Amino acid sequence: MIFLVLAAGAYFVAVLERWATKGRFSLKGPVVSGLALLGRESLVPRKLDRIFFEAAPPLVLVSAVLAAAVLPLAPGLVVADLATGALFVNAALAYVMVALLMAGWGPDGAYAMVAGFRFLGQLVAYSMLIVMPITAVAMRAESLVTTVVVTSQATLWNAAYQPLGFVLYFLAAMAVAFLPPFDLPVAPGELAGGVEAEYTGWRLAAMRLGRATLVFTLALSVTVFYLGGWLGPVLPPWAWTVLKTLVVTAVMLWLGRYVPRLREADVLAWGWKYGIPLALLNIFYVGVVLLGAA
Amino acid sequence: MKGSLSGAREGRPSALRRLVAKASADDLCAFVVPGPDVARARGIDLGAAGLGVAATPRHAGVILLLGELPAGLKKAAAVAYAQMPRPRAVLAVGAGDISPLPGPDVSVAATQADLAAGVDELRRLFAAGAFVEETTAFYADEIETETTYACPMHPGVTSGGPGSCPRCGMDLVPRESTGGSGHEGHHGAHDSHAGMGHGSVDEDAGGHGDHGDMGFMSMVEMTQGTPRSSDGLQMEWADAPFGPLFPGLPGGLAMSFTLDGDTVAVVKAMRGIDGWGPESLDDVTAREFPERLAFLSPLSPIAYRVLALRALGVAAGAETDEETLLGQVGALERERAASHLGWLSGFGRLLGYSWLGENAGRLQVALLRAADAGEVGRLEPEVGKFVRRVIRTPLLARRLEGIGTLPGDAEISGPVARASGLARDARAQGTGYRHLGFEPVVRDGGDAFARLRVRLAEIEQSLGLVRRAGVVSFTEVKPAANAGDVGVATVETPRGAATLRVTLREDAVEVLELRTPSSVHQGFVGAVAEQREVADALVGVASLDISPWEVTG
Repeated sequence: MIFLVLAAGAYFVAVLERWATKGRFSLKGPVVSGLALLGRESLVPRKLDRIFFEAAPPLVLVSAVLAAAVLPLAPGLVVADLATGALFVNAALAYVMVALLMAGWGPDGAYAMVAGFRFLGQLVAYSMLIVMPITAVAMRAESLVTTVVVTSQATLWNAAYQPLGFVLYFLAAMAVAFLPPFDLPVAPGELAGGVEAEYTGWRLAAMRLGRATLVFTLALSVTVFYLGGWLGPVLPPWAWTVLKTLVVTAVMLWLGRYVPRLREADVLAWGWKYGIPLALLNIFYVGVVLLGAA
Repeated sequence: MKGSLSGAREGRPSALRRLVAKASADDLCAFVVPGPDVARARGIDLGAAGLGVAATPRHAGVILLLGELPAGLKKAAAVAYAQMPRPRAVLAVGAGDISPLPGPDVSVAATQADLAAGVDELRRLFAAGAFVEETTAFYADEIETETTYACPMHPGVTSGGPGSCPRCGMDLVPRESTGGSGHEGHHGAHDSHAGMGHGSVDEDAGGHGDHGDMGFMSMVEMTQGTPRSSDGLQMEWADAPFGPLFPGLPGGLAMSFTLDGDTVAVVKAMRGIDGWGPESLDDVTAREFPERLAFLSPLSPIAYRVLALRALGVAAGAETDEETLLGQVGALERERAASHLGWLSGFGRLLGYSWLGENAGRLQVALLRAADAGEVGRLEPEVGKFVRRVIRTPLLARRLEGIGTLPGDAEISGPVARASGLARDARAQGTGYRHLGFEPVVRDGGDAFARLRVRLAEIEQSLGLVRRAGVVSFTEVKPAANAGDVGVATVETPRGAATLRVTLREDAVEVLELRTPSSVHQGFVGAVAEQREVADALVGVASLDISPWEVTG
């Protein structure tokens, strides 16, 4: 059931992404593109690092699915309700960087290599902004269990309770999924596709599937951590989760259309100079509010 | 070849393959040669014809060749075609002879309607013949590689075959070089199914393909003798070509960056496009000359047509009448606004700012298609809204400020000069502009953001001038000059002042001097790109708005 939802989620991400980038809403669009990709040759660069090149696309998918496994769709509807669920999300997402670095190194091309190392720099900028807001969320829930995080928001969603953490986590999540304006490792205009440039045919299809799943997973994590997960009236709980996740996805996909891609130096500088102090402030603020309530 | 693609994929047609073929037909994505910028400048909207635009040939199923291509671009296109995964096809749009590429699958004239029909035809071909049982291989000469063997420690020691180094006894390692130059060589060979090669990562600097063979070696030894970059960090140096078919730059513009990590250490800029330039103006009659000069500048043909007409007019000693002059102003200004919008569209693509890329392109095409000054006038409010919105874009100033800065005293012209606080504008002296109350747009800063602001302001200014001129076309009066007459004229093209000096021989025009703004600005590519991060370097180069077509010698 959960994997079905995940597959459907990735599919809708693809539909939304086409809508955002090409201006056409088409439910069968991704099927057509996917089939077309599967029908094309999947060429392999001549002087490649075979293991890295082949392993990268599945690894994106695996890390996205792993992170999704601890995120609940509804009470009881979660693959693994780990005691350290919230931290596990962060751990699983770390492999996205590994995958992209491998995809950059593997094909032995200059554009891809620069792109791969760009993402390594991007990780340095965003990783603390994933962990620290999650810390503040866990403080309020007094638990790392993701289902408890959801129930802790029964009175007030975390997006309103700690808006600062919400904004930081949202932006960091976009950076993990390298969505514009954080699309430094793919950058069509600057690096002609970057880490994706050398992938063709079914390998490219695998890469795009992994990316779509990753976007869905991150949107799901925003929903669970900040938007009250399955909480909501009338509709069944799972429907609320899916609905909120798709709205988050849509915002993530559309936001980047209206701003230029960030400079790598700025991503790093802002992540550390503003992002981390603000994340600390958020933790402090949540701590004060919690003490005040107690 | 009937009913099947020249670049079909090998495979027995089956039910599943037919389904896949149909999907490929519905999902056509093209790699455009010379580039989408040239398509828009000709008023062709690729999206409206149902074609997506791919950033790399690897992600394209169709190679679209637009207009008559110079020899250099045809070679580059052949390399790009060789890199495309099958099934693939060639679509020629008013392209004429396209060898060394294989013959086109579909060939149409360069109009929107013909292109749309051509794309439909291509879809039919894909659906019917994406898979065939036997395929033919395609080789491009440029990607033939030559393997030599060299010592990893002593780059001077090379040999035609494997062996060991006479100086240190280490095994020689293979090193490859490609035959052609000026192509998009980060991808190398692709013989139909075997794979590709890479001519780009500089093996001399310890290309990462070969570490494994070297055994343990200290970092000091590995980096000994390699150049040290400005920040003192010893990194791998790699040569990477940017252009002539690079998605973020004008089609045809070719550079090679020596990358030190992700910093551009050295820039090698190619001069113009191979097989294109004023050489081809030899033995052109005075009658054909304006047409010919316009043809050579696909990004701003009208400016060069007017330039030719005026130089010939001066040679003949003929006065241009008021009405023609006004018509020329209208035509030039419409072209200027469209050209700046075209630049913005390409710039938006480079910046990853898709809203800008799409809307600037749409307005450019609409402006070029407008039938008369009235129709141009009706676009004015929309363009004004667009301009104000671009300037208010969050993070845009941050991205552009301080990038591509040029000193104010540099030999520059056009918007690049006016963005450095210099009121250089050939229009200020132009007779046709005096009545229209023309004042050059000048901004300070001298960086990419100032250039953006100048061009945005000029888009609005040009549309205002068109409104006041009331016309967007002029009747061409062919001046009758005599042999021996010399004429010189200067026109402010969208990229800056172009000067042409011609003399007439018996039945042909001889070009004594052609000075174009892009030729001048090309000289600053190194200054704006070196010691910059790749993205900043590209923004700096793009902000100069160099048209490779008008770069001479």
